[in-house]
Amino acid sequence: MDEILAEFIAETLETLEVLSGEVVAWEADPTDGSRLDAFFRFFHTVKGSCGFLNLPRFERLAHAAEDVLATIRRGDRAADPATVTAVLEVMDRIGTLARCVGDGEEPPIPESADDLLLDALTVRAPSPSAPVEAAPDAKKEVTAAAPAEAAPSATGRERAPRTIRLPLALIDQLMNGISDMVLARNDLARKMRDRGADPELEGSFERLSANVADLRDMISKTRMQRVDRLYAAIPRMVRDLSRDLGKKVGLDLDGGDVEMDREMIEMVVDPLTHIVRNALDHGIEPPADRLAAGKAEAGTLRIVARQSGNQIVIEIADDGRGINRAALVEKAVSAGLLTSTEAATLTDEQKLQLIFHPGLSTAEAVTAVSGRGVGMDVVRANIEQIGGVIGIESCVGQGTTLTMRVPLTLTIIPGLIVRSGGHYFAMPRGNVVELLHQNSAMIAVEEIGGARIATIRGEQYSLIDIEDVLGLPPRDEQSGMHGPRTLMVVRSSVGQPYVLGVEAVESNEELVIRPASPLVTGAGVYAGMTLPDNGQPMLLLDAAGIAQSARLPLRDAGRIAAAAAAKVEQAETTQALLFAERDGTRRLIPLAIVDRVEDVDIGQIARSDGRAFIRIDGRLCPALNADGTLDRTHKALRLHAGRDTLCYLIGDVIDIIEVPISLDVRLDAGRIAGLMMVGETQIEMIDPFTLFTEVARDLHPTETSADAPPPLLCLIADEQDAWLTGILAPLLRQAGHDVTFTAPTGRTPDIILRTEATATEVNGGDVPVLLLADSAETAKVSADAVYRYDRARIIATIAEVAARRAA
Amino acid sequence: MNDKLFLFATIAGTPVALRASEIEAVVRLGDIVPIQRVPPHVRGLAALRSRVLTVIDIESRIFGRPMPVSARPLAVVCEVAAHTYGLLVETVSDICEAPDGIHAIQGRIDRAWAPFASALVEREGRSHLLLRATDFVSTPVAAKAA
Repeated sequence: MDEILAEFIAETLETLEVLSGEVVAWEADPTDGSRLDAFFRFFHTVKGSCGFLNLPRFERLAHAAEDVLATIRRGDRAADPATVTAVLEVMDRIGTLARCVGDGEEPPIPESADDLLLDALTVRAPSPSAPVEAAPDAKKEVTAAAPAEAAPSATGRERAPRTIRLPLALIDQLMNGISDMVLARNDLARKMRDRGADPELEGSFERLSANVADLRDMISKTRMQRVDRLYAAIPRMVRDLSRDLGKKVGLDLDGGDVEMDREMIEMVVDPLTHIVRNALDHGIEPPADRLAAGKAEAGTLRIVARQSGNQIVIEIADDGRGINRAALVEKAVSAGLLTSTEAATLTDEQKLQLIFHPGLSTAEAVTAVSGRGVGMDVVRANIEQIGGVIGIESCVGQGTTLTMRVPLTLTIIPGLIVRSGGHYFAMPRGNVVELLHQNSAMIAVEEIGGARIATIRGEQYSLIDIEDVLGLPPRDEQSGMHGPRTLMVVRSSVGQPYVLGVEAVESNEELVIRPASPLVTGAGVYAGMTLPDNGQPMLLLDAAGIAQSARLPLRDAGRIAAAAAAKVEQAETTQALLFAERDGTRRLIPLAIVDRVEDVDIGQIARSDGRAFIRIDGRLCPALNADGTLDRTHKALRLHAGRDTLCYLIGDVIDIIEVPISLDVRLDAGRIAGLMMVGETQIEMIDPFTLFTEVARDLHPTETSADAPPPLLCLIADEQDAWLTGILAPLLRQAGHDVTFTAPTGRTPDIILRTEATATEVNGGDVPVLLLADSAETAKVSADAVYRYDRARIIATIAEVAARRAA
Repeated sequence: MNDKLFLFATIAGTPVALRASEIEAVVRLGDIVPIQRVPPHVRGLAALRSRVLTVIDIESRIFGRPMPVSARPLAVVCEVAAHTYGLLVETVSDICEAPDGIHAIQGRIDRAWAPFASALVEREGRSHLLLRATDFVSTPVAAKAA
């Protein structure tokens, strides 16, 4: 009996969650019979089960609601806002009671209170004769387009995938089980290597090994949930809030079928709720103001989720009044965050970023909805805590868009394995801005009054050694034995970036992070622990904790102004990876396209017909440089460009260095793009575009030039910009597009390209404008910007435009 | 669970007992990876299949001196507040019922033991100090140590 009851509670709560989105849609269109049916069915089911389970209180509520819905269905009564509210309240009450029963608690609301709800339900709306018109004249009404899946038709429901309900604990156990299996497999693989290979045995082991890997992937997927779950509560919240605020808001939800880790969904709920509240309260204007500003009476709130690589991007856009920069700056100045001189030097972007500062809210009055002191700083802290970033764009009078980018899962993060004094630690890759060798020419270290300061490209950072932070034997005792140390520029959510010195960075791995026990986290410098595939437990370093324990200064306002000044001086550079080819030649490759460095076993390499492939993650990836005799293991650069991946076998990785964006000598020699002066020597820079061209037929075997989208006419906005004309234009032509520098007559350009330096105002009208951003950071937060050295993205974005035009 | 079932072990030569309901298993640990900046009784991390244990040196917690450990030390595995711990013990003699149950401690025990031992458990005519796993996995509080 208990089991049946638990099942009933779980099912009821789940249905309620789904329905809360639909109820708003139903109110918007009371004539939609299929929605009414869904509610009717819910109350009917609850009523039926309650009789059986002996829950009279539920039964009474459900019965009354069912009756009212029945009269509406017969057309005897209108679905006016009052009725909908009453039905909603009954649903809420059933939810509250169900949760209490589920937790085995006594309901906090006395049964007599139900009578009030039931009375509200049975009070007749004054104008039953106007069922459809009842809604629009009600001032507090809100329209919402629920996601299409949320309102399945009767036939849609039948075709829904078959599912069963499983306890989460079981899934966690499965996950642990499979991790055990992976460890056992690795152990076995080690032993097999030590004892010499028996090809037959190895074949069987390979098969088993592949199965285990597949199984692990599949089980990881059971942790994923659709973003719909995150959306479920939003329509209701928007409806209730806009009623309270006397505003009209249309809600548009998109991307509900994107999947993310269920833990991640839980972590994003609060920030998202807060942003939505802000948008409704401060962003969208009251109907009268909107009309006065020449906008539609009802505002629009649009939430879109999409997957981008191993991140989920959630955009929350409103078409409200935008953010008043002047008010923000004024507040910051009066709060003592900035001096007025500093404020004058801020760029628009930096002014907007002020919204994330603690204690700054532009709301003129504190309202019940938002502006209660919990501000965007908390939202940002929450997002950064889970390894995400948040960006903002706002146009005064036109609206504000907030973009949250969060990792796909909380538990698996890319990390760098660092070594120091025989100890290994993991550092989340998201915290590491760049890696440098101590003896790199880019860095100068000086000691002043006990503090050590590293100067990298004119920026000064505090330099701390991991040994000092953790109390390991001092680095001097080991120097000389281990060669140059590695310096990591580390960025954390709370403080200024700093430089952390470690003995070496060993590798780059996907790490499964588990929480560490309180005794360990109490040390203040560890964020969690992980068990890499070698079976040796490892601690995950906490970038913010290390800064705090080294007593580095926190993020302050002076820094904002300093950064503004520094940005002007900074020469235009980009990052490149310095590596040794298999024959030892040193070459450079743009870092932006290097996804990761792989250790490739000879068994993973397959050669056929003069071409080579590497098997990675169960897929074949074209490989270059795989000719000649192969050693047992090789290092390979995994290059990534949009959907395309290729592996480039190399000897070893040497360093990541900063290079000027333009080549010193331009060559047109196959894979080599040109020469670059690095220190005293010149090094060849690889042209990744050529690499991808070489393997193009392997990546897209079916694609022929006949199917390719027709060439686009690309308008380059600034003829004077050397980068646009000298680098981008040839690239575009190579990709088969037409390039023009002046607006042509007779033919509208398909896309306009500009850089941040483009002085003239670009207004494309219907034509999309693509910004080629100077930094990858800018490109990250803006939807129509692409990092100028992300060549593949540029091509991909342009191809998208072509595809859209063709469609 | 049978609340008269106990694990009998020794720590620093002293016979001790832990409730069987508190513990999950007794294992021999592999390598212990030391941790910096933690209290001295936190010996490090050890892998138990795919799980990671925080290894606690009970002797160090009680007497303030690290327990000498062998290559594959014996540990009692227990889970407290969703974290898994391995408590290092010298020897484990048995898991069995103590039909006489728990007695109050008669006489004065060593000051070092006093904060941890709440009662005695009799087995085969010998007294064992009853310890609780949770006492060793919480962050030490000054008052408790005094």
